[in-house]
Amino acid sequence: MADEPIATPEGGAQAAPPGADRTGGGGPESRAVHPRELLRIREDVPGWLRWALGVVPIAVLLGVWWLLTGSGPAEGRIISSVILPSPLEVLHSFPKLWFDRALTRNAGLSLSRVLAGFAIGVAVAFPLGLLMGAFSKIKAMFNPLAVFGAYLPIPALVPLTMSLLGTGEGQKMGFLALAFVVYLLPLIVTAVDNVDDVYLKTAFTLGANTSQVVRKVLLAISWPDIYQALRMGFGIGWSYIILAELVGLDGLGGIIMVSQRQGPREHIYLVLLVIVLIAFVTDKLWQLVGQVLFPYRERRR
Amino acid sequence: MSAPQTTPVSTQSKPPVVEFVKVTKTFNAGTRNAFTAVEELSFSIEDRPNYGEFIAIVGPSGCGKSTILNLIQGFSDVYPPTSGEVRVRGKVVTGPGRDRGMVFQKYSSFPNRSVLRNVTFGLELARGQLGLSRSQRDDLAMDWIRRVGLAGHELKFPHQLSGGQQQRVAIARTLALKPQIILMDEPFSALDEPTRYEMQRLITALWHEVEATVFLVTHSLSEAVYLGDRVWVMTHAPGRIGHEFADAIPPLRDAEPMTVQETAAFKDVVRQVGAAFQEIEARGKADAKRGD
Repeated sequence: MADEPIATPEGGAQAAPPGADRTGGGGPESRAVHPRELLRIREDVPGWLRWALGVVPIAVLLGVWWLLTGSGPAEGRIISSVILPSPLEVLHSFPKLWFDRALTRNAGLSLSRVLAGFAIGVAVAFPLGLLMGAFSKIKAMFNPLAVFGAYLPIPALVPLTMSLLGTGEGQKMGFLALAFVVYLLPLIVTAVDNVDDVYLKTAFTLGANTSQVVRKVLLAISWPDIYQALRMGFGIGWSYIILAELVGLDGLGGIIMVSQRQGPREHIYLVLLVIVLIAFVTDKLWQLVGQVLFPYRERRR
Repeated sequence: MSAPQTTPVSTQSKPPVVEFVKVTKTFNAGTRNAFTAVEELSFSIEDRPNYGEFIAIVGPSGCGKSTILNLIQGFSDVYPPTSGEVRVRGKVVTGPGRDRGMVFQKYSSFPNRSVLRNVTFGLELARGQLGLSRSQRDDLAMDWIRRVGLAGHELKFPHQLSGGQQQRVAIARTLALKPQIILMDEPFSALDEPTRYEMQRLITALWHEVEATVFLVTHSLSEAVYLGDRVWVMTHAPGRIGHEFADAIPPLRDAEPMTVQETAAFKDVVRQVGAAFQEIEARGKADAKRGD
């Protein structure tokens, strides 16, 4: 009696007599769903539904784009093709981007710049962050500088580094290295800070000296968190490199700038897609390597 | 004249294992948050050859029980004491070392190391002094892993272990270094009751082999009575030893924890310790009132 579905104008008709619902194959789904049950906090969502839900906003966005630009001749459109080209026009301009604009060479150029800036940034932020996290006096020394850096507007460093270093490779490396240090340093310090005191005390009672505690406890335990910080930093590096390249003619940022000035506008959209794609793939690589390096890392929700 | 000759010279000349000489520790001294954890605390634990003495410490929360253990280690947050001297085997303590092992209430297995590598960690750190090869270290660690009942788990990582298993790792890691003093700060407080009994059984089984002096801080009176050769009941902060139960406690260390703790004789001793505890609590409240 108590299990009977509550009759609603629509749902009441679906309430089948006991036994009959087996053949119908509807089972529990045939019950009327109360609006309250549509959204439940932290419910488990099956994989297929997750995908389906994720596709919806993208499909809507593409649909709106297609509606606004149409597929017919450029004259009758709501938005002119010079301002917003249609999805098909964007796709068709891809060969031109690949061959005439040397997409792979420019993408490689951007990537090598990110890597070089990242290497310099990590070479500074990693040892400094570790020492700041381990030794309070070193932290007291560099913390004011790090706080100053944390509030610096990174985009404003582009013109600054230009006036200091010109517009060549040196400026791009300098800007990226600076941006990486400012971003990574606090994260690395926090990762080392977060190592619980009980591990330090345990290590000391096992006979560890200061250097062993720094290397085998502080660094070893915070390493997964530091890696996570590097991974996030690398992702953000992709935004920074475009910023740095917007003042030049080469690299992916350069292509965006040239396309904006001289056209075709289609290339702006394509390059944005390419950047997202590269960033996504590199992030997956970071994730994979992380899983190999830290198999003990507990998976938490 | 003739009396001094009757006292055995050998034991007299050996310094006490642990000695507190009028030790006072005040945290945040000179500020409004000043807190004296222990005051003028003096005691001396003599060396008893071939016997690991087990001292269980109970007392009201915040009475400086943990501070005593931390002072024996000389951890940087308590070292140096405000006044007095802490000596271990005659030497003034200046910092932690592997001659004094410690097991904490918080699980302390290194998350990045397997069970085996956790237990070998201390041996690795001291490989210069101990002169053990890698395979010797592994054999020694495996031996302790078996003895604490973790055989078959040696390649697991701490996040795959239960709370009781994590404390077994901590015990194996501590004992592998053969420390002369072992400090345990509420090591079983976070465990459920059946696991506690299991750990008590494990501790009693292992202690005979180790022959170390053990200080155990616990909030369980029956655990203190069961494991301790002596039970200290501490007073409210600043902590002093309010009562010492030494002879009242029968040697129970070989018996099953569950069975022993059900006997009338055992319960009677626990009741005595409980009465002493309550008396101290009541006195503490009276003192607090008078203070107002």
